[in-house]
Amino acid sequence: MTDYIIETKGLSVYYGRHRGILDVDLCVETGEVFGFLGPNGAGKTTTQRVLLDIIRPTAGEAHMLGLDCQKEGVVARDRVGYLPGELSLYDNMKARQFFKMYHSLQKNNSDPKYWQTLADRIDLDTSRKIREYSRGNKQKVGVVMAFMNKPELLILDEPTTGLDPLVQQTVMELVREANQAGATVFFSSHILPEVHAVCDRVGIIREGKLVATERVEDMTRQHFKRVRFNFANMPPDDAFSKDGVIELARDEDGITLEVHHHLDVVMETAASYGIIDIETIPVSLEEIFLAYYGRGNGGSNA
Amino acid sequence: MLRLLQQELRSRRNGIIGWAIGLSLLPAIYVAMYPQFQDSLAGMQDILDMEIYKAMGMSFGTFEDWLASTVINLVPLILAIYAVLDATGTLAGEEDNGKLELILALPIKRWQIVTVKAIAHAIALFLILLIVDIVTTIVFLGIESQVETSLTAWDVFWSLLYLWPIVMAFGMISLFLGTFAPSRRVAALIATVVVIVSYFGNNLSSQISTLESIKPLFLYNYLHATATLWVDGPQVNDVLVSLGVAMAVFLLAVVFFQRRDITVGAWPWQRGKIPADAVRTA
Repeated sequence: MTDYIIETKGLSVYYGRHRGILDVDLCVETGEVFGFLGPNGAGKTTTQRVLLDIIRPTAGEAHMLGLDCQKEGVVARDRVGYLPGELSLYDNMKARQFFKMYHSLQKNNSDPKYWQTLADRIDLDTSRKIREYSRGNKQKVGVVMAFMNKPELLILDEPTTGLDPLVQQTVMELVREANQAGATVFFSSHILPEVHAVCDRVGIIREGKLVATERVEDMTRQHFKRVRFNFANMPPDDAFSKDGVIELARDEDGITLEVHHHLDVVMETAASYGIIDIETIPVSLEEIFLAYYGRGNGGSNA
Repeated sequence: MLRLLQQELRSRRNGIIGWAIGLSLLPAIYVAMYPQFQDSLAGMQDILDMEIYKAMGMSFGTFEDWLASTVINLVPLILAIYAVLDATGTLAGEEDNGKLELILALPIKRWQIVTVKAIAHAIALFLILLIVDIVTTIVFLGIESQVETSLTAWDVFWSLLYLWPIVMAFGMISLFLGTFAPSRRVAALIATVVVIVSYFGNNLSSQISTLESIKPLFLYNYLHATATLWVDGPQVNDVLVSLGVAMAVFLLAVVFFQRRDITVGAWPWQRGKIPADAVRTA
């Protein structure tokens, strides 16, 4: 039986008549890094806020760490580190004052100086007032805030926003290290290469509904194929005009196809023109993601 | 919780100092200038019998009347502005600007958050009043020999502290509105209307017999901004009413904050329901 650290059933949020999320059945396994992807307004932040009991569900239920997010939220949140997507800090405080205050408000505060270790790691001067920081440095404060109490579950909403590439890399290292130390990471991001690099599974939410949940390698391997054929005899223009097949490019030597369905038919057709060479072109997570955004694919959870 | 309270008070430090200094000028000037005007004020009673001054609860026949009509009457009205701004800002304002989300993500119960903020607000109001009080009393001591009055410095001192319950009530009403209204702006607007209606409604209902029956509805009814304050002393029942109102709306704030969807910006009755035509997953 799989151990889920986050589990939602039929989770729905409506703001008046406006849709937040609808019937989201989300399962995040303990110890994994789960990427939560979706276009702006899809419902990513709404889902995270329900988990933290900032917003109450209209219907359905949400559990975190085996605890009901609404009824037992205080106990659950003691084991969670959170970085909101729109970070708003106490500008008049020095960063170290803020960290000390934040640390004191956690019951789970085993290492009172870990925030300093993190701040040094991402090159944050904690002696300055938060209002003096650039946007990137404020985001660093948020990163330290989320990781500083070594939580069992990290909920991160676009954690590398506004950070320079070096610090982005460090943050992803922190994510990996926390995961290796046993933490589960649930984060949303628009930077798909980093999702591809660190996530075990991804869930894609679109228009409030969870349309797909798959392992990253399965998603990139199985979703569609991009194939390059070099032919002895060039096929006519309509040779591959089939449902689920898109001709991407054609030159004097061959054709590049994107195959969603009927790969066997495509292979049979290509063979009839004399295949000289065949090459499978890797498909990035970004391209798969855009396919989900653009076509409204339905899907099922893994 | 202590750290959170410390932070709440620290964040109010500049406001407390600024408001205390600024508000101190009003009683200080009114008290300081009385000796220069006391003779001419006695001849102004016909003007002061005009309805507009009665509506503002003003009478200047004696120093006690002067002090009551200016300082006791106006300090809580002006301090109520701070109460509205601070109390709507501490919950509704922090919700609007996103700071509240950080605190709510912590393992803290919502009623604890409201309570800490209410305590910080109450302390801030008290400190401002205390500073205004000390300044006013010092000024009074400076002019005491020039004024015909039976008041002592202690009378002046406690009469300003006596204003704390009513401004607390306005503050807690504003805090509650911050948990109820969709935004800080709406909460502050409603709270301001409450303060103004209370002030003018109380004075007008004293002048218009048909409004006499609704006078108890106005909080200012429980503030005796007249010279009788120092004759009869503060009425304990009236102080208890103000404190009772403050406590009651504070408890309402706890209840409504507990139920509130933060960052949504909606009235409580706008809580969403899944429309019948929503396309649901099979």
